[in-house]
Amino acid sequence: MIEFRGVNKWFGSLHVLKDINLAIKQREVVVVCGPSGSGKSTLIRCINRLERIQNGEIIVDGISLSGKKTDITKLRAEVGMVFQQFNLYPHKTALENIILAPIWVRKQSRAKALKIGKDLMAKVGIPDKLDSYPAQLSGGQQQRVAIARALAMQPKIMLFDEPTSALDPEMINEVLDVMTNLAREGMTMIVITHEMGFAHRVSTRIIFMDEGQILEDESPELFFTQPKNERTRFFLSKILTH
Amino acid sequence: MFGLFGLSYEFRWSVLWVDPHLTWLLNGLSTTLRLAAISWIIAVLLGIIFGAMRTVSFRPAHAIATVYVEFFRNVPLLVWLFFWYFGAPEVFPEFLKQWFIRHGIEFWSGVAAISIYHGSRLAEVIRSGIQAIPKTQLEAGLSSGLSVIETYRLILIPVALRLIVPPATNESLNLLKNTSLAMTIGVAELTFAARQIETYTAKAVEALTAAALIYLVLCLTISMIMNKIERKYAIPGLIARGTGAEH
Repeated sequence: MIEFRGVNKWFGSLHVLKDINLAIKQREVVVVCGPSGSGKSTLIRCINRLERIQNGEIIVDGISLSGKKTDITKLRAEVGMVFQQFNLYPHKTALENIILAPIWVRKQSRAKALKIGKDLMAKVGIPDKLDSYPAQLSGGQQQRVAIARALAMQPKIMLFDEPTSALDPEMINEVLDVMTNLAREGMTMIVITHEMGFAHRVSTRIIFMDEGQILEDESPELFFTQPKNERTRFFLSKILTH
Repeated sequence: MFGLFGLSYEFRWSVLWVDPHLTWLLNGLSTTLRLAAISWIIAVLLGIIFGAMRTVSFRPAHAIATVYVEFFRNVPLLVWLFFWYFGAPEVFPEFLKQWFIRHGIEFWSGVAAISIYHGSRLAEVIRSGIQAIPKTQLEAGLSSGLSVIETYRLILIPVALRLIVPPATNESLNLLKNTSLAMTIGVAELTFAARQIETYTAKAVEALTAAALIYLVLCLTISMIMNKIERKYAIPGLIARGTGAEH
């Protein structure tokens, strides 16, 4: 579904992705963790080309991102993205946020988009907030609308860039629950998170990154019990102590 | 007695409502409103297009917009009026020149000068509005499959326009008042009419007071309308708009 082949990326002289090779299959739920500045956010932002790579190749759903004829907007429609800061459109209600791209990109009728939108709002557990504006919703509610908005495009892949990092503790679970259900339904997901409970329960694979490299790529069982890398052990000891 | 202090001026307000003076004033007002309205619409469109282009990463678009803004805002409006009236028509193709002459070349030169000049100033206002929006809004639009142009049209520009109502109001008032400069190229707008009454009656105070009051009323009306627009389109929950925000 997603393949990185010898991918390198620099920001100026800063080498942020170093020779990344990675293959993710359909229905996998991959958690990416690592210290800040390790390149994990850049890694997933390359998948829908919000960041461009300097060499190597990324193939998503059989299409090379660096191809001259690649229609990037078409590919982005198949890849949903959820951001740390929700990024809902502030001048539109929750429901309007959800139906915008289906109408403009998928050319759905307004009636159909509205129906799907309402169903999704029910699915993420806030069917009563259809007409609320983002600033009138709590962080957890906003993030659930953002997930519904991404799902409305019926994407093949969902990317989550620290979806719970900006949330108050009591709201984290309501978002993780939605993500857990999504994983159970078989969605292909890449999730940057430090919620190790979620990683343990839900993921099929955990990737640990540091300084632009993938240091660990393991099943959750092995990742938590027998991390190969010294750096991974140190990181786990830091985040699992509290 | 008053003559002793040099106050021999005799007010005669009635000059304002005898014809043809009243007709001149009303026609002047009508021309001012038309000139301002047409110029404003064009200026806003230019401002949105070039203001948005100033924020994109595509270099040629950015460069063109920068040249437009810096070239037109840094030359006085009066010079632009003379340019579009005395200069530009000379280099127009003949059919265009004839069209202008038939349709009132003074008026359309005024529209060109005022709309392009104020468009360059509005572009800066709109640019600042777009740049006040987090870049992640653009990313949210793009990642959902919208093109850059669609993201600007559906998200960035509508949000930016809501943010810039106060400075845009200011700029709109300036545009309205600046239409008075068009009298220098012979547009019979409000100030022109006031001067004409003064020339015929020697009642400068009355004539110019009338013009001043009309401008004042027009500007206050625009301010009120823009205030209403600001409230109507305020983003709920995002910004408290002087309606008794909690302290």
